[in-house]
Amino acid sequence: MTSSKLLMDQVSKEFGDGETSAKVLDNISLDIKGGEFVAVVGPSGSGKSTFLSIAGALLSPTRGRIWMGDQEVTRLPAKQMNQLRLRHIGFVFQSSNLIPYLTVRDQLLLMAKLANQHGQEPQRRADDLLHRLGLSHRKSRHPESLSGGERQRVAIARAWMNDPELILADEPTASLDSERGRTVVQMLADEVKLRRKAAIMVTHDKRMLDLCDRVVYIEDGKLSERTQPIVL
Amino acid sequence: MFLALRELQHAKLRYLLIGFIMVLIAWLVLFVTGLAQGLSSDNASSIQNMKADYLVLQEESDHRINRSVLTGEIWNEVQSRPGGNPATPLGVHMNTLTKEGSAAKFDVAFFAIDVESMLAPRVVEGTMISNTDADLVMADRSLKEDGYRLGDRIVDQATGATFTIAAFTEGQSFSHAPVIHMNFEGWKALQPNPAKPAPIYNAIAWNGTPEQKEALVRDVSGIEMITKEEALQGIPGFQEEQGSLTMMIVFLFVIAAFVLAVFFYVMTIQKINQFGVLKAIGAGTGYLVRSLIFQVLTLTIVSLAISIGLTYGVSLLLSGIVPFSLTPSVVLLCSLLFLAVSLMGSLLSLYRVIKIDAIEAIGRAA
Repeated sequence: MTSSKLLMDQVSKEFGDGETSAKVLDNISLDIKGGEFVAVVGPSGSGKSTFLSIAGALLSPTRGRIWMGDQEVTRLPAKQMNQLRLRHIGFVFQSSNLIPYLTVRDQLLLMAKLANQHGQEPQRRADDLLHRLGLSHRKSRHPESLSGGERQRVAIARAWMNDPELILADEPTASLDSERGRTVVQMLADEVKLRRKAAIMVTHDKRMLDLCDRVVYIEDGKLSERTQPIVL
Repeated sequence: MFLALRELQHAKLRYLLIGFIMVLIAWLVLFVTGLAQGLSSDNASSIQNMKADYLVLQEESDHRINRSVLTGEIWNEVQSRPGGNPATPLGVHMNTLTKEGSAAKFDVAFFAIDVESMLAPRVVEGTMISNTDADLVMADRSLKEDGYRLGDRIVDQATGATFTIAAFTEGQSFSHAPVIHMNFEGWKALQPNPAKPAPIYNAIAWNGTPEQKEALVRDVSGIEMITKEEALQGIPGFQEEQGSLTMMIVFLFVIAAFVLAVFFYVMTIQKINQFGVLKAIGAGTGYLVRSLIFQVLTLTIVSLAISIGLTYGVSLLLSGIVPFSLTPSVVLLCSLLFLAVSLMGSLLSLYRVIKIDAIEAIGRAA
């Protein structure tokens, strides 16, 4: 259990209360180890977003328990959830969601500032990350002057900045063409392998699944898994 | 304040525009405040600078010094009371005067005082007059700008009485007219019936505690007592003048609050999605709130600094033309009020920022 980056044990989530409650996630169990890159696929309304919100410490489950590493994170006060997201989870959103008035380098440095890290070390870390993701020449640009693929790479760099244990990607390729999308996902996969961390990617794009180690399906709030990636 | 500063830098035009509006409003606030203070002292600096706690007036005189008439008996009664409270009579007479040999007329207020009492004004030029020489008076130095000099002879238009200016005083005006101080010997010449021996006063300046004042009003019949503040309000036009300027200032503060509130609210609404992302990646609500407050304060302080500079600059250009007086303590008070108002204006935005849920960042393609 110690090597689990994320462990969900019979997790359910219901919205509303009493008569009108709707069960969005139904008894989901999932164990993700270091070095694993997991894809989550499913039709719209299947509960993917809720799953990601619970895995990302944005929502607490109605039932079930969740661990990250050795820490149980099932029910934490808002402030600790915040710290957990800041230090242990990296987010990559649809269409990147970078802060428009920060330069590429500042997007990364912001993460360090939020985590109260100051001085030279975070700057070195940011430069290093940008170099690895091929963004060194874009360091002082603002998001508006970057291409869609570059923005998404910046988002990935930002997600890795505080060296999280788990990366959550919410349809990171939604706004990219398939070639660029693939490059971006490839980079994500490479980093996961390199750092022995874990990543979960929610996606519609079946062409990306061969880059993932595992693929789990969500349908009507239930989760099922195929161990072998499928190539269509 | 990493975020706040970078946003200010990036969206320069927006913040410059709103800053410009704030500068104009703050400038107007300070200028109108200075004008109100200037007018107030131009109107009634004699009362403001008077070293007295209370003024004794005739009852039913409606707080107006010039409506009150006190007889010598009342003065004797007030003066002879045990307790030894300092008291001194005052005669006030508004009139028009001319310079001997000239036809130009000026409105003035004659103040008859005991020149050895606490009502004696500060002399800035010439020598203090005595209580005995009926011919000598002391004029406010604003009359110098109208061409009066030491030794000039002035003629009271109503009675034809003449006096010699023996000294100039500072900060002495009443009802927008310069004050001419004289002793009670000279005062006799200004009475409608100079032959009548009994002296007539308009007020008695009196020092004491509120309890002593109550006792005095109870014991002496036919009088009322007012504070200096009430005496100011009783000067014809004072309340109206100050009231309309105060109303302008209050409105400007309200406008400033709303302008800032609307600007930051619209900015915040625009950035809701961004705030959602920031919260999702781990920025605490406190950090975002501090960021917003920092921006509001930076904008307000910079605008205030510029407008204070502009206000003093313009007041230098207009000095002597417009009555203007702005002390550092008033500037400080206005600035603090302005800061408080701008923070109040940002409350709505703060509320929105606090309410934003990090979860909004998930599943959004904005």
